[in-house]
Amino acid sequence: MTFFRYIARRVLFTIPILLGITLVSFLIANAVPADPINVNLPQSQLNNPEIVAAFRAEWGLDKTPVEQYLTYLGNLAQGNLGRSIKTRQPVAEDIARFLPATIELATNATALGIILGVGLGVASAVWRNQWIDFAARTLAVIGVSVPVFVLALIFLSVFHAQLGIAAGPGRLDFTMDEPAMLTGLFTIDSLAAGRLDIFANAVAHLVLPSLVLALYVAGLISRVTRSSMLEVLGMDYMRTARAKGVRESLVVMRHGLSNALIPILTVIGLSYGNLLAGAVLTESIFAWPGIGRYMFRASTSQDFPAIMGVSLLIALIYVVVNLVVDLLYYFVDPRIRAN
Amino acid sequence: MSSTSSTISSIRVSARTSRAGRIAGVLGRQPLLVVGIIVVIIWIIAALLASQIAPFEPLAQDVRNRVQPPSAAHLGGTDELGRDVFSRVLYGGRITIPAGILVIVFGSLLGSAMGALAGFLGGIWDEVIMRISELFMAFPTIILAMAVTAALGPDIRNAIIALVVVWWPGYARLMRGLVLKVKSNDYVEAAYCVGAPRRYILLRTIIPNCIASVLVMTTLDIGNAILTFAGLSFLGLGPEPTSPEWGRMIAVGIDYFDQWWTWLYPGFAIASLVIAFNFIGDGLRDIFDPRLR
Repeated sequence: MTFFRYIARRVLFTIPILLGITLVSFLIANAVPADPINVNLPQSQLNNPEIVAAFRAEWGLDKTPVEQYLTYLGNLAQGNLGRSIKTRQPVAEDIARFLPATIELATNATALGIILGVGLGVASAVWRNQWIDFAARTLAVIGVSVPVFVLALIFLSVFHAQLGIAAGPGRLDFTMDEPAMLTGLFTIDSLAAGRLDIFANAVAHLVLPSLVLALYVAGLISRVTRSSMLEVLGMDYMRTARAKGVRESLVVMRHGLSNALIPILTVIGLSYGNLLAGAVLTESIFAWPGIGRYMFRASTSQDFPAIMGVSLLIALIYVVVNLVVDLLYYFVDPRIRAN
Repeated sequence: MSSTSSTISSIRVSARTSRAGRIAGVLGRQPLLVVGIIVVIIWIIAALLASQIAPFEPLAQDVRNRVQPPSAAHLGGTDELGRDVFSRVLYGGRITIPAGILVIVFGSLLGSAMGALAGFLGGIWDEVIMRISELFMAFPTIILAMAVTAALGPDIRNAIIALVVVWWPGYARLMRGLVLKVKSNDYVEAAYCVGAPRRYILLRTIIPNCIASVLVMTTLDIGNAILTFAGLSFLGLGPEPTSPEWGRMIAVGIDYFDQWWTWLYPGFAIASLVIAFNFIGDGLRDIFDPRLR
């Protein structure tokens, strides 16, 4: 019971945060000299005051900022995010179209990053100050230091252009049809449609962008895993477990890693949220039609409804990811469960 | 009398050598820190002396020799307008390094001031400042920076402003925590008791005891700032397209993807510099945080 009350309270607390987000994104979008008219109307129409006035009226730009903001909140309460100035589609529909590509990429990259990062981090802590620790730590620093757009170009050049063993940009080959829309995740939709050829192609296209992002994620995770494991490895119960004759691998994984999980979960949640929201650099190099590129296009054309819609979405993603991480704490740590 | 003073001076001397010895010892145990310092120094010297070292002007075009592979004349090859890539990479440090440093300097000053006020004044000030910082932290770095630069218009100054807007909340939170901890110390209480003015207590008693942690954080952070600045610039939200800035050069180089030298050398520049700064940051953290030793 307390569990559900906890969740309900957390969900209630997100409402003021989301309101604040709309305010900040509205202020950023409006407290600026730029005028969306200059970006969104062709030069020939800019000289025609009637067209300009019609454009302003259509997008509510003729009202005062306070009125605009209140109108936005009113629409939002009815689940209406407004219409994008750039794509001329409802923002909610745009998001539904672009988000699955991002989810597919971010999830794959995070899964790969967890395997790599936790593995390296544990090895690093167990063989502390030996060559494997040194190598893993150096790899971690490189992972978080090399810009993703540089790594993406190197991988594309080596594995796609030179060796020809990996698929290039995009979610599918140009010759492939998209699978029937079900979840928007091509790997799942193609399997549901029984099209193994599309599935294989979608996976092939996922490999390079996932790998690029995974190296960054693995860098973050392995550093946290290492320091968290080091703390745990020095505990008395580790010595006790060894003294009882428990196998070393079991000592490290069951007694060690499971007690070191909390900070690792935190950093995983943080980086997953970040990938869902801000993989714009990777998305733009791999021509990945995701939410990051949508946001980039929106912000370079002062597409206020789209900018605010995506900002809200991102804040929501953060809140949900944080909530899930908190719930995982609850399952991982019996002490939290007891309280 | 004289023997005492000579004893004292010999103690001083031995203290000095042992300190130098300690520093050498610490550096000896942190080979990556040393590597980082050397690489950063090399890049700074390269940027400072670019006009002397660079064989060509960074903006000098030579259209007959466009996108030529690396050669004896052009160590890094030439780009789409026949400009010398090696020279442009050297000049690039003049933009990216100061930009990263400025972001950290202004971001940490603004953030620390806000955090110090929040922690010191408490009450409603604390609430307001911390809630505002949380709102800014609810956006991912690059997205918020993107929105701000897109709004202000893309150029170097606005990219730096955007990054400061993104950067200050981290420092505000750090500084607030530090001030709250220091504030509860007896010597702060003592300063109140002898009637020291509040401003004096904040500036002279509390803040000096918080600065070390903030400085460690700035070194950990500077690589990140450079990375994000290069990212913004790569997206076209930084310096103008012709400028010899690393992120910008890579973005232009993508159109000449098979001519790898147009994007690989500036990419190597960013990567090596950020790796070096991260080595330094990690090394300093290991030294200052005894728990990690």
